[in-house]
Amino acid sequence: MKWIIDSDRPIYKQLVEQIELKIISGAYAPGDKIKSVRELAMEAGVNPNTMQKALAELERMGLVFAQRTSGRFITEDNKMIDEAKKTLAFKEIDGFFEKMKQLGFEKEEIIALIEKIEGDSHGHSES
Amino acid sequence: MAILRAKALTKKFGNLSALSNLDLDIPRGRIIGLLGPNGSGKSTFIKLATGLLVPTSGEITIGGATPGVETKAMVSYLPERTYLNDWMRAEDMMAFFGDFYEDFNRIKADNMLQDLNINPRDRLKTMSKGTKEKVQLILVMSRNAELYLLDEPIAGVDPAARDYILNTIITNYKENASVVISTHLIADIEQVLDDIIFISQGEIKLISTVDEIREKHNKSVDGLFREVFKC
Amino acid sequence: MLGKLLKYEIKATGRTFLPLYLALIVLTIITKVLLFVAIPDAVMVSESGSNFDLPLVISLSLYGTIIVALFVLTLIVIIQRFYKNLLTDEGYLMFTMPVQTWKLILSKLLTAILWTIVCGFAVAISIFILALGNFSMMELSQEIGKMYSEFQNQFGMSLNIIIGEGIMLMIVDIISSILMIYVAIAIGQLFNQHRILASFGAYIGITVILQIVMSLLTLLFPVFGMDYLMSSEMNEIAVMQIFINSVTVFNIICIAAFYFITNYILKNRLNLE
Repeated sequence: MKWIIDSDRPIYKQLVEQIELKIISGAYAPGDKIKSVRELAMEAGVNPNTMQKALAELERMGLVFAQRTSGRFITEDNKMIDEAKKTLAFKEIDGFFEKMKQLGFEKEEIIALIEKIEGDSHGHSES
Repeated sequence: MAILRAKALTKKFGNLSALSNLDLDIPRGRIIGLLGPNGSGKSTFIKLATGLLVPTSGEITIGGATPGVETKAMVSYLPERTYLNDWMRAEDMMAFFGDFYEDFNRIKADNMLQDLNINPRDRLKTMSKGTKEKVQLILVMSRNAELYLLDEPIAGVDPAARDYILNTIITNYKENASVVISTHLIADIEQVLDDIIFISQGEIKLISTVDEIREKHNKSVDGLFREVFKC
Repeated sequence: MLGKLLKYEIKATGRTFLPLYLALIVLTIITKVLLFVAIPDAVMVSESGSNFDLPLVISLSLYGTIIVALFVLTLIVIIQRFYKNLLTDEGYLMFTMPVQTWKLILSKLLTAILWTIVCGFAVAISIFILALGNFSMMELSQEIGKMYSEFQNQFGMSLNIIIGEGIMLMIVDIISSILMIYVAIAIGQLFNQHRILASFGAYIGITVILQIVMSLLTLLFPVFGMDYLMSSEMNEIAVMQIFINSVTVFNIICIAAFYFITNYILKNRLNLE
């Protein structure tokens, strides 16, 4: 997975989000060892202190834990990951509804629309 | 303790004030962007830190000492100019650095030459300006210094080399060392910076971390810079 | 560090001189051979104009050219190594290395002295080789021996003392001449524009000042003036000694002043373009 940093939001927040996404999507499996701060920073092309800050934030969120000698690991607590997944899903859906309401759709219309599009796309392909 | 400290630092050229009353602490373990339009005093500040210029008044210290032999051993400086002796080969320059800088890591330098496809046997005379700049950067980054002062390191290089340079700065990161990068091309380097120092007309206009700026102004440092300096 | 500086200084300059010294050796040999073939007995040459020989003329004029070239190049390299290596873009490297400024200057100076002496010796040896065979070595050494003993008898001292003092003056003069170039270049870079022109100006200025100082000195202390010395009761050798040694002392003072000023400017007033 590539790292994408946009220009107008704090970089460490974007790093937190992207690592979180990797954990939720399973790109990083529970219990996996995470690369060193320096390696991750290089991969993302960001400042090591910023990456450090992002990982500290993930630790605080409970998605990552540090072991004094051997480095950082993805949490093995699946419940924690599911929780994060749900939180993220709610956030995405909230955002989506917000936008659709701006376009003038009511809740029922939106749901109907989703079902229609979902049904259509299942008829054709999986994209 | 700060690696670099400036107190009421002032430099005048005749009647012209290049820097006036600058107070600044640069802590260790940071990557710092020194930003400002052309002629704002960035190069003057860096030259004062390297000892190439002597302050008119005020003082500047590196690791607690005023610029001299002791601080020059701690500072790795990349000037805007190419200072390489034309008649030498790249490998001669490596030997030269090895002779004069105890902290020069020849193996690292050789690896970097290889990464950038530069033949150490090539004479500098036959190299393009861009290649010479790369050789110079390799020399500077292959030192295990405590303070790196890079004056416009990415101005003339192609995007691939620029990425390599930024990567080198990241991999080279050490907790006891700081890197100061002076540039007007902020967008390219914003992601690797901890802090930025905005300087204009010889005075500091703003010191902040990159994320603080993004949080407060909802825009990138580059965006803010363009707005403030309209350039 | 001084040793390392010297190593690079000699490497950087040697590269320019090497071809010229090789050419000098080759030309000396060729000219010597041609001379030998054309005029086996050199004493005859001035009387018989018929010995005109084109290859020899060419070789001799080339030989003359190369000796002039050697002197000129030595001067150019002395100037160029100081100016280019310290005060152009290369200065950004030299002045940010952990080396004291006075060592940078000293490394340039020692190398400059070395090449001046090498140049002098090479030319002297080369001319000596060309002249070989035109005089008897035995007679020459007898002549020299005679000179020494006559001198001893007449003035009650060894000729070596005078020669030694003369050599001392020469060395001191070479050093102060080189440092005068350095100080002029250093003063030139104090200006924001036309630095090379300013350096020439500084050089001329220093020359004028030195002349004034010298005439003032002889005015204030007539003891050092040639007129006074000649009119005194002392013998000519004693007069010569006083003269040589006072010029030596004057040069040493100049050396100290030039070195100090150059170092001060490069350390505290440096402003690379």
